[in-house]
Amino acid sequence: MKIAKINLIVINFLLLIFAGLIALSVGPTKIDGFFSQLIQPGSDEILWQIRFPRVIAAVIVGAALGVAGLMAQGASNNALAEPSILGTASGAALGAVGAILLGLAQVGSIAAIVSGVIGALLATTLTLKIASLRGNLSSFALIIVGIAVSATLTALVGLASVMITQPDARSISFWNFGSLALITYENLAGVIATTFIGILIAWKVAPNLNRLSLGDETAFHLGVNVSRTRWLALVALSLLAGGAVSTVGIIAFIGLAAPHIARFIYGPNHRALVIESALIGSLILVLADTLARTLSAPNELSIGLLTSLLGAPILVALVSFKNNVWRVQ
Amino acid sequence: MITLNEITIVRDGREIIYGYSEQIPAGSITVITGPNGSGKSTLLAAIAGDIAPDKGTITIDGLHPILTPPLALSKIRAMAKQNQFYSLGFSVREVIEMAGNADEILTVLALEHLADRAVTTLSAGEAQRVSIAQAIAQNTPVLILDEPFAAQDNENRKRIIDLLKKLAEDGVTVVVVAHSSEQELAWADKVIKQFL
Repeated sequence: MKIAKINLIVINFLLLIFAGLIALSVGPTKIDGFFSQLIQPGSDEILWQIRFPRVIAAVIVGAALGVAGLMAQGASNNALAEPSILGTASGAALGAVGAILLGLAQVGSIAAIVSGVIGALLATTLTLKIASLRGNLSSFALIIVGIAVSATLTALVGLASVMITQPDARSISFWNFGSLALITYENLAGVIATTFIGILIAWKVAPNLNRLSLGDETAFHLGVNVSRTRWLALVALSLLAGGAVSTVGIIAFIGLAAPHIARFIYGPNHRALVIESALIGSLILVLADTLARTLSAPNELSIGLLTSLLGAPILVALVSFKNNVWRVQ
Repeated sequence: MITLNEITIVRDGREIIYGYSEQIPAGSITVITGPNGSGKSTLLAAIAGDIAPDKGTITIDGLHPILTPPLALSKIRAMAKQNQFYSLGFSVREVIEMAGNADEILTVLALEHLADRAVTTLSAGEAQRVSIAQAIAQNTPVLILDEPFAAQDNENRKRIIDLLKKLAEDGVTVVVVAHSSEQELAWADKVIKQFL
């Protein structure tokens, strides 16, 4: 990796730390002596029991969704692919809600995360199988089928979530628009594990995704086992999106915007993009969550609204200003 | 040595190639010509291992491409397809380095000045040369090129032919599909005009 690119990664990392500190310091309750409380873990209950796990969740989930989007786009060789469009996110939500409805899991538990990951994998596989029924996986078919699968599964999530009677179950709004409000340290373990494993697989498969961007045939000529590469990327996608969605609900747009912003700044190399999409996804989600809970405090806005408001203009600007980042045939 | 033994390939219910046999010796240049739709590119795809013949066998030095794992196959044959499309903005050098060392081939194919350009910004002829350069950088004993001259001017066409001759002298088996008259193909060791 060139030094200039490493410098940009360092700058992004510093920005993330800065955003994290702002997120920890602001809120309805003022924390006296913020920096002195910060160097004494556990000293202030609001800081350490509410804001800290929430900011950590934003960093982890943002990274997971950013890399999930990268895997979705790389595996399908499609600029518009992301967990929400491929049905991955709604599959994860249905898996988690279904397990909670059947009494097999609680929100944020390992069992809910496992169910979410399985739901994500099944839904993504279903989308890809239907989209490639006529042979080649066309961009048009992928997006249309993905939207159809996603809409169907989202409707099922809605039906299932109103049938749940458990007192700690989440609302339809939680599953469809996401929220970090109820996150605890206990909820974090599962999503940290799925994100870590998902990013490791993404790192491993990244060089072959570079070759896959040349088309399936050329990638095969270069020695890539195309179906195995695509399958591994989908497993990474399902772990990342499944773990995130089953913990904090569906947060749209980060999976689409983060990899494109990263690609625009750093170029198309997938191994570098794994790091950069994770950092940019984290940064967007930390900022969005901070705004969501402070703009109309003490009420909270839906975080999905904020991620769209932050990410969409950036994406439009990227598409407008530079068109050789991702060319469409 | 590439051996085609009584191969038949059917596409959409039509026999594109029927009972065709051929032997292509190592270290030679073989050019396949013929009208559009006569199955030239299909034959190349079968030799490259992209598709399996419906009947008969294809072997490269005794190996069946269709039965060989992708990584092992990439060590014995390289292929540049016609109309390679680049969706992501990798540089020319990065694309060639996905296959092997880029330095020498960038010079030989007059791509040095484009080394840092994004492949998404290249002209059709430049993109085609990058695709050829990538296949050659793979450094395999068999090189398969589908219509390598389609978008090239005379200077670059001569440059590519000289390179193919040099590779054949070094022992590489070169198989090319081209739309050219027999007089223009004097540089080839063998011209296959009709294989139906």
